[in-house]
Amino acid sequence: MTTTADLALQKCLDAIATTFDSVFAEIEGWRAVIEQRIADAAGMLRAAELDALVENLVVAELAAPGALIIGAGAVAAPGFLDDAPWHLAWWLGHANTFGLGSADPSVRRLEAEEDPASDSFRDYTALEWWRVPAETGTRHITGPYVDYLCTDDYTLTLTMPVRFEHRLVGVVGADLYVNDVERALLPPVRSIGGSATLMNASRRVLVSTDPHRPTGSLLRDAGDSHVLPVGASSLLLVVG
Amino acid sequence: MPQSIRSTTAARAAVFAPLGGAGRAELVAQRLTDAIELGLLSSGERLPSEAEMARQFGVAIVTAREALEALREAGLVETKRGRDGGSYVLAGSPESRITRRVASLSRVELRDMGVYYTAIAAMSAELAADRATDDDIAHLRATVDAADVDSQQSMRRGEGTFRLEVAALAQSARLVREELRLQAEFAPLLWLCLRDGEYRVASRAAHLDVVAAIEAVDGEAARRATTAHIGQAIEWLLDTKADLERTAT
Repeated sequence: MTTTADLALQKCLDAIATTFDSVFAEIEGWRAVIEQRIADAAGMLRAAELDALVENLVVAELAAPGALIIGAGAVAAPGFLDDAPWHLAWWLGHANTFGLGSADPSVRRLEAEEDPASDSFRDYTALEWWRVPAETGTRHITGPYVDYLCTDDYTLTLTMPVRFEHRLVGVVGADLYVNDVERALLPPVRSIGGSATLMNASRRVLVSTDPHRPTGSLLRDAGDSHVLPVGASSLLLVVG
Repeated sequence: MPQSIRSTTAARAAVFAPLGGAGRAELVAQRLTDAIELGLLSSGERLPSEAEMARQFGVAIVTAREALEALREAGLVETKRGRDGGSYVLAGSPESRITRRVASLSRVELRDMGVYYTAIAAMSAELAADRATDDDIAHLRATVDAADVDSQQSMRRGEGTFRLEVAALAQSARLVREELRLQAEFAPLLWLCLRDGEYRVASRAAHLDVVAAIEAVDGEAARRATTAHIGQAIEWLLDTKADLERTAT
């Protein structure tokens, strides 16, 4: 029996899926351009060429007022680029205050430590936003997590693998503030009418109708609630 | 009750205390002084330009200039003109620099540093025990294993990474930012005990205790292990300071 409650639930699942699908559609577009450029260059690309390409793709999106995306770019597989063993071509949006102190934020390049000998160097291939798309070959939502590399804030990172001749040569992706995601997703989650919690595949709460179920906590036991997948996003909605 | 009236007034005054200016220049100068005295910036090394430094610290250029002026006065940097111009680090032996730094802080300051850092680190560990997944725990354990107990530098670096990871597992952006800030301010001094091989072994054991507590979802134990570990580092500093003072007199 299809009830209004079922319809409301389906509408909610669709709204959540659409929010992430639209960001992934953007990333997919960037990936297509990057993969084409790598293919045209027969896999021989310099860091400055990747930077110019990525900057062109992401800066307009980051400068848009009210954009959900607060950071975006591409990260190269170690050793892929001709002249930079480790390289991040990542831009920060105007809403992103990372590393600024008191200065006014504007769209700018992330200055990442790319020298493995340095104390502040991080091997990004060990991080979830790299590791999972590298292992599964498909898109992935990392977080909610505190990203002290790119945002200094509570973040979701959406990434997809970039390939050349069936080989992983990098990832491309975007950062979202969990703050903004909560604002965007709470209305649809509430619209179901009952108790509902959106969590990631590790059972970490992203947003809940229950104000006492904090974002970031683990829902270790969902009791007799129904756990529903949200489209192809790997997120789960716990209802009831 | 006058006490409480005064404290309200003081709290109100703090709200409107001027931002920037002298306070910030002192903070920048202190950060650089610590780095020089602890050997993180070595003798002869060229500091970034005033403009670059201002950008990195997120302060005005005039503030960076003021900080450099203070370092020049303290004899810690010299400024050269011309083609290879810029500010260069001047420093004596690492041993004497550390001695100076430990001696320059009072016992009260050292203890207070420990109390504040413990508040942040122990709360992070307690929350992490509630919020870490199995993957997170495996990653944290790998962080501990990656540090080489025979190397002071590796253990220092590992200490910073471990604390930062634990704060991140607490899922609190504010705790992570405060952890980073405190590492910049205290870490070189706080973990001086890692010069001592015995403390490096104890430090690794303390990290593993914290990981085990997080794995057992035992926030109380994670908090206790963290508090004890930082406490040991502070006691080591106080002993060192006392020894220095004894030999000086």
